[in-house]
Amino acid sequence: MRISSGKLLHALGLTAVVIFTLFPFFWMVSASFKTQADILSSPPVWFFTPTLQNYAEIFADTKVSGAIINSLIVATCSTLLAVILGAPAAFALARYEFRGKSDLWFWFISNRMISPIVLALPVYLLAIQTGLLDTHLVLILIYLTFQLPIVVWIVTDQFKSIPADLEQAARLDGASQFTIFRKIYLPLGAPGIAVSAIFSFIFSWNELLYALVLTRRAVQTAPVVATSFMSGYELPWGKIMATGTVIVLPVTIFALIVSRHMVRGLTMGATK
Amino acid sequence: MTFLRLDNIKKSYGDAAVIKGVSFAAEKGEFVVFVGPSGCGKSTLLRMIAGLEDVSSGELYIDGREVTYEEPAKREVSMVFQSYALYPHMSVFENMAFGLRMAKKPEAEIKAQVLEAARILQLEALLERKPRALSGGQRQRVAIGRSIVRHPKLFLFDEPLSNLDAELRSQMRVEIAKLHRSLGATMVYVTHDQVEAMTLADRIVVLRAGLVEQIGSPTELYDTPANTFVAGFIGSPKMNFINAKVASIAGNTLTLAHPTFAGGTLALDTPAAARTKLGAPVTVGLRPEHLSVGAANPVLALTLDFAESLGGSTQLYARSEGEPIIALTAGRPNLKPGDALTLGIAPSHIYLFDAAGLAL
Repeated sequence: MRISSGKLLHALGLTAVVIFTLFPFFWMVSASFKTQADILSSPPVWFFTPTLQNYAEIFADTKVSGAIINSLIVATCSTLLAVILGAPAAFALARYEFRGKSDLWFWFISNRMISPIVLALPVYLLAIQTGLLDTHLVLILIYLTFQLPIVVWIVTDQFKSIPADLEQAARLDGASQFTIFRKIYLPLGAPGIAVSAIFSFIFSWNELLYALVLTRRAVQTAPVVATSFMSGYELPWGKIMATGTVIVLPVTIFALIVSRHMVRGLTMGATK
Repeated sequence: MTFLRLDNIKKSYGDAAVIKGVSFAAEKGEFVVFVGPSGCGKSTLLRMIAGLEDVSSGELYIDGREVTYEEPAKREVSMVFQSYALYPHMSVFENMAFGLRMAKKPEAEIKAQVLEAARILQLEALLERKPRALSGGQRQRVAIGRSIVRHPKLFLFDEPLSNLDAELRSQMRVEIAKLHRSLGATMVYVTHDQVEAMTLADRIVVLRAGLVEQIGSPTELYDTPANTFVAGFIGSPKMNFINAKVASIAGNTLTLAHPTFAGGTLALDTPAAARTKLGAPVTVGLRPEHLSVGAANPVLALTLDFAESLGGSTQLYARSEGEPIIALTAGRPNLKPGDALTLGIAPSHIYLFDAAGLAL
């Protein structure tokens, strides 16, 4: 089989992109199996005797497992809430004309225009005043404000792509607005909802700034704990990398589960 | 008995009037076709009957009950959409059962109704399939099936055949006609295709720019069109129009002048002579299928431009002063482009219209 030079270049380019994006991930995973000496050696050691010491240490530390549970609670609750609140909002924005619709739309977008750090101090003060500092609830609420716009955007767009004839056919069939939403829009909008849920979950899972500002001991999330090893006079890279690897796992599994719903062409066959 | 009545129905979007006052009544069991060019408001009118569009003014009655502002579901109408609008995530069975489920019918009844509709439309083998696994014609049948299971008072069809290829379209046309006969239901059907209108309708409503041009049976519209628009719209190929002038009137004998006529004039015995005056413009309408080649006393003297053989018949395109003249003739006349072509027509088949386009 002859391979044209164009195809070869194409393959080389793709390989470069793959290496570029996966290398940090590879470095993190491989470092989590190295001893501190191997990690710090220069030039880097490519072949080494793997050790589970780092994992043993972080799992012995209840701080890490506790943090992962905290992260799970916060990310799951905020994602669920964002989808439960965002999908009906998206339905209204996609299918109804009402006064102030474009203003509302802009308000959703403007939420994302502000750099998060600008709001960190006001939010911190609010959390103290309301006694919510260092609770799951405060993180869930603050993440929800960042996730809702994402969910509303993506799902509105998905809902808009559902032919309006379907809704009208359902109306003639005697379906109520809520039934139309539940039986037509939710199943057909599943790909968009899944994508927005993945984004939301990843956002909450990885968020560091607000987690640092709004938590103390009780509800530290996984990224906070991973960075907390960087204290004093040493940097235990092995433990940080092992924690990082453990943190990445749940979100990867979640994305794999949800992505099964991201089937393209789900609306095929509806019309024409 | 009047079953469906539209009373001066109007619709406007802001300042733009789309339906400018349509009044019309249909009997129970009648098959009514709304026909007209695109943008004439026929689909809007249908959607107003369904309740999917608000009525700006006027009144709408179905089965003696005013439903002008009634919810679509409470009007007991069903609609077949141009796009079919099948629920893509549901099986054929669930698509047809959806309306019955919404009406909270018992499961046994739902099953019986859907199976009955599936039997009528030969969909029994496809009940478990999803719409995407169906052909265009099958989807169309499911859409019809969904509309018949609920036994609505009124069936609405919005250009249901326009997405099908020609062969399937004529096949489905026959099936819809059969369905109408077997169900005996009142149906309103929208199309821009005059062949569908002619073949399906008990009565045709011709619409143009939001107004009714003429209402009548297919043969009435064909035989006595009210104006040049209806005359040109009904019939294929389109009616030929010649813009002549009145040269003389002597009792019932009207003489019209135009260079296209053989000898420059056309003399007719018609009571319409009394309704026009000397020098007035008169549009002469001649249907292509009424023109005959090589008649004893020809009406038109022309030159053949080209001929299209359709196998059993031939379509002739002739040059004239003004619009080209089309004639449809049986067989294959032995003519070449550039040959002189004389065409005759029975006087009873000549249509006359005044300057405003209204029938004389």
